[in-house]
Amino acid sequence: MTTTLGIAAHTTPIVEVNGVSKWFGDVVSVSDVSFSLGVGVTALLGPNGAGKSTLLRMLCGLTPPDQGTIRVLGADPRTDLPVRGRIGIVPQQEAVFEAFDAFSFVRLAAILNGVSDPDLVARQALATVELDPADRRKITAYSKGMRQRVKVAQALVNDPVLLVLDEPLTGLDPRQRGHMIELFARLGAQGRCVLVSSHVLDEVERFGSRVLVVAQGRLAATGDFRAIRNLMDDRPHQIRVRTDKPRDLAAALLEKGGVLGVRIEAAGPGRPASVVVDTTEAPRFRRTVAVLARDVNATLWEVTPLDDDLESVFRYLVQP
Amino acid sequence: MTATATTPTNTPNQWPAFVAVYRLLLRSVATPGRLIAIGALAAVSIFTAVVVHISNPYDSLGAATGYANANLSTLVPVAVLVFGAATLGDLADDGSLVYLWLRPVPARVHVLAAWAATVTICIPIVGAPVILATALIEPDSSLLAGTVVGGLVAISAYSALFVMGGIRFRRALPWGLVYILIWEGFVASAGQTAAKLAIRSYIRSILAEYTGQSIKLAEFTLASGILVPLGVTVVALAYASRRLARTDIA
Repeated sequence: MTTTLGIAAHTTPIVEVNGVSKWFGDVVSVSDVSFSLGVGVTALLGPNGAGKSTLLRMLCGLTPPDQGTIRVLGADPRTDLPVRGRIGIVPQQEAVFEAFDAFSFVRLAAILNGVSDPDLVARQALATVELDPADRRKITAYSKGMRQRVKVAQALVNDPVLLVLDEPLTGLDPRQRGHMIELFARLGAQGRCVLVSSHVLDEVERFGSRVLVVAQGRLAATGDFRAIRNLMDDRPHQIRVRTDKPRDLAAALLEKGGVLGVRIEAAGPGRPASVVVDTTEAPRFRRTVAVLARDVNATLWEVTPLDDDLESVFRYLVQP
Repeated sequence: MTATATTPTNTPNQWPAFVAVYRLLLRSVATPGRLIAIGALAAVSIFTAVVVHISNPYDSLGAATGYANANLSTLVPVAVLVFGAATLGDLADDGSLVYLWLRPVPARVHVLAAWAATVTICIPIVGAPVILATALIEPDSSLLAGTVVGGLVAISAYSALFVMGGIRFRRALPWGLVYILIWEGFVASAGQTAAKLAIRSYIRSILAEYTGQSIKLAEFTLASGILVPLGVTVVALAYASRRLARTDIA
């Protein structure tokens, strides 16, 4: 099943993937995947072995699909050299050119992209990821997080229209992760298509709400993850209602609220009692809960969905 | 800095890219370990030449020609293999090739840079010692000219062959050794037909033509001895470029 929702702010697709499959021997890595991406940040999610990295490699032309077509800016990235100059990639593997310092490495990327002033562009790219262009230590002497930032810097030198990042937050400390997430959001807002693969879901949530979910080589969902969650009618929504009269409200909900079940959570230190509701009709529930609270003379303090975060959506999508 | 999503139409000037990749590969492949190992082999070759010179052989031109032939047939290809297969092969193995490949640069630029880097390293580290060792035994001008020409042609052809091998095979070093020791050293020494498919047959023909000495299976003219290996160079580089453009990048 593929859940497809309209993606806001997409006019002309930068990436178009149509019926793409890829297999290695007998193993199907990617199976009949189709989607398109425009500007902005999109998170690519999926469990290990789902085919995320293979998909990213195909998007960059690093490996051809066995079936289907991939177009970046209307051209095949596998064969069209000018299009490669509009793509930036941060690959998952850690290997970089060991003989180089960060500046030389990023400068080389600028030269290969035909940048007119590679020194200036390399300095700017390194400054963007908070690295010192004057640091002449070899990259091998850098920490994992610093290497990761060098890899991001080299991907920025050509002012890419499509930026593909495979697990770019690996090895970064929390402050650097925050900085990188802000950077990716800024790059997306500047008119780029930024595709970020990550398994750290709470951080992916900070990139934005647009996701591509891949499970077992297939595209399980694409679009805004909250909207995807709303379409999952077979999975009851869990909603917590904090109130001063949980038992009265729970009884009213069971009687008239269109809920599948309720559970009362006892009060704790600094936390009032609450009612946790399972419902397949979240919009209706939201409309009726206030009316029912008024009917039983209860005060509502908080109505919070418990499972429309990205992690829940992801879990529902990838688990059989 | 705002990205524009228009379809790009041209590729940048390739000369700066060639120079940059050449410098990268030169620095990457000339590791201390490789330089010491091949330098030691070259030193052994020179030391052996000194011993031969001191022993004052009866036919010093014949001995020097045979020694040059042995060096050009084994030491040179082994040294070229060590550097040539590693230029792009190491990058393919560790995954860093993506930083060269995903650029608006044709594959032939990378391949030519790898070939040029291999030649640049091998001429001083193995070509010059072979010429020196030959001169130590017999400083005959025709022999030295044959060794210089044969050495340059051998380095050129083997470099192209092993750069190609580094792209084609995941374990290019053992495959290259099989080619040098089993194919060229054993199978191609068995007869004239097989000898046509071994670079060393053409190199020894160059030596034989320059010195007038008789060398086994040196059956080709000077022109063939030079042109065929150079043709192999062109074909191997063309194939390597095509292969690199179509290879799967990790």
